Order: sequence, then structure tokens, then C-alpha cells
Amino acid sequence: MSNLEKYNEAFMEVFQIGEDQLTDDLKYQSIETWDSVGHMMLMAALEEAFDIMMETDDILVFESYPKGKEILSNNYDVEF
Amino acid sequence: MTRLLENKNAVITGCNRGIGFATLKLFAEKGCNVWACVRCENKEFEKKAETIAKENNVWIKPVYFDLGNSEEIKAGIKQIRENKEKIDILVNNAGIEQQGGFFQMTPMAVFEKIFKINVFAQIEFSQYITKLMMRNKAGSVINLSSCAGIDMTGGYMAYSASKAAIISVTKTMASELINYGIRVNAIAPGIVETQMSRGLTDEARENTKNSSLMNRIGEPEEIAEAIAFLASDASSYMTGQVLRVDGGM
Repeated sequence: MSNLEKYNEAFMEVFQIGEDQLTDDLKYQSIETWDSVGHMMLMAALEEAFDIMMETDDILVFESYPKGKEILSNNYDVEF
Repeated sequence: MTRLLENKNAVITGCNRGIGFATLKLFAEKGCNVWACVRCENKEFEKKAETIAKENNVWIKPVYFDLGNSEEIKAGIKQIRENKEKIDILVNNAGIEQQGGFFQMTPMAVFEKIFKINVFAQIEFSQYITKLMMRNKAGSVINLSSCAGIDMTGGYMAYSASKAAIISVTKTMASELINYGIRVNAIAPGIVETQMSRGLTDEARENTKNSSLMNRIGEPEEIAEAIAFLASDASSYMTGQVLRVDGGM
């Protein structure tokens, strides 16, 4: 499974959404399931998927689907 | 003995002595596997842990890190994650004591040190471990507070205040983590026969002992039993609570 597939799967599993919703418009609180509770579930899923430990500062600024990719790529060496 | 924690996996801090060691032993006897967190590498402890594990047909993995050092905490977490096992239980037991003294005679450095270990490090460690627990949508966290954090008496402000803070931490964690099926409770022991309590003045020990209905000092094993109860499904309807185990103070 590619890193992008792992990334997408985490979003789809945690937020119970389809692949068609994984767009640049997908942001924190833009859908019902991406609330603060869902946000931490997403962080836990990504940590498990990529075997990383995310810093609190990164968790705070992880505000959208594209921003998340940028954070993982820049700070955790996850290549997309 | 009932295998109340059969097939569960627990992380326990401060496992090498006192309440932590009694909890490690009891959890193993109840069928629980344990990541036994200890500050310094200790061959004697490893031998004891190996014997306990063998006798109870569980695994015990020593993990060494200093709670006062964030980088070491992260390294400890990495070690725990490497096992790829689910985490059911977290016991935040490790802590430090304070030598008695009026608060006006207690240097701020003492307050800072005690809060760093007894409060901030507990929060930091819990942040990492509970993220690992969340994926299972179940779990139990037990924080070690103290009756000193409820019944404030003079002479131990830094320690008492840190243990009072743990009660607040427990209640907040409980309200947030219930969203992920994780229960969080605290134990507030009275005076217990440990190396830590032996650091109290004779007068303080005697006063505390005499203020309990049972008129005696508790044993670490008696606290461990309460921790096991909160860790187990026997307490499935409890969260955000502080359980006093103090001989009736």
C-alpha cells in the first residue's frame, strides 16, 4: 500500500467518508465527523499507519487534508 | 486467585519498588502482561520480573526512561510501540516525594521539580499512551493521587498540591477520553509502607497513622488490589472518580 493510500484510508476509516470526499476542501469541522474527537482519532490512525509519534504542535496545525500531507512530508519523512 | 486481568496488557510506571512493584506482581498474578517502566536499568529488578512472569505465564518487559526527560519518555514510548500489542491499562504510579517544610521555606525549585514529575510528566506520558489506547476504543487509566491531595495538612505543600492537581487531571482526562471508551480514575492512598513514606518525619507518620480508623499504615499490596479493581472490567461503570484507600481517614 502506498503512503497516499495509507493516508487516504485513515481519513476514510476515521471519518466514515468516501474517496470522492478527499479533496483540498476537506478541512477540520467541514464535515460532522471531523470534530475534536474525530481529529484525535485521525492522529492516532496516522501514527499507527506511518509508525510515527506526532508532536502536539503538528496536531494543532493539522487543519485540512492537504495540510496534513505537508506536515507528514516535511516533519516525518513521509513521501507522497 | 481470580485471573481478573487475563489477556490484558498494562503499562505501569515506577515498577521497581513500593506500590508499583506490588501492582506489577498482582497484575501478573491476575494474568496481565506488563510493560514495567523504571527509571534506571536494574538487573536485579529484571531478574525479579522474569521470575514473576514465568510463575504467572505472562510477559513482563522492562522499559527504562526518566519521566523528567521528554526525550527519554519518547524513547520509552517507541520501545512500547515496537511490540505492536494493544494497550488496555495505564497505571501512572511513578512520583517523587517532598521533604517536609513550611511553604515559605520551600524553594521554588522544589515546587517545580515535584510538579514536573508528579504532574507534567504524567500528562505527557498519558498523551502518548492514550493515543495508542484510543484505537481500541477501550481502556482504563489509573492515576496515583494521594489523600495528601485531598486532606491538605501543613508541611508538604508541593507534594499535596501536585497530588491535588492529579485529581483535576484525572477528571478532565475522564471527560475527554470517554469519547474513545477509555475510563480514567485515581487512587488516593493514605500512608503506605513504602520508601517514600519512610521519608516522612516520625511525627507526620504517627499523626497520619493515628488519624485512620484502622490505626495502622497500609501495605503496598492493599493499594495494588484497588488499582487492579479500577483496571479491570469489574469497575466498568466508574470513570472520573477518586478512590480513597486509606484505612478510614
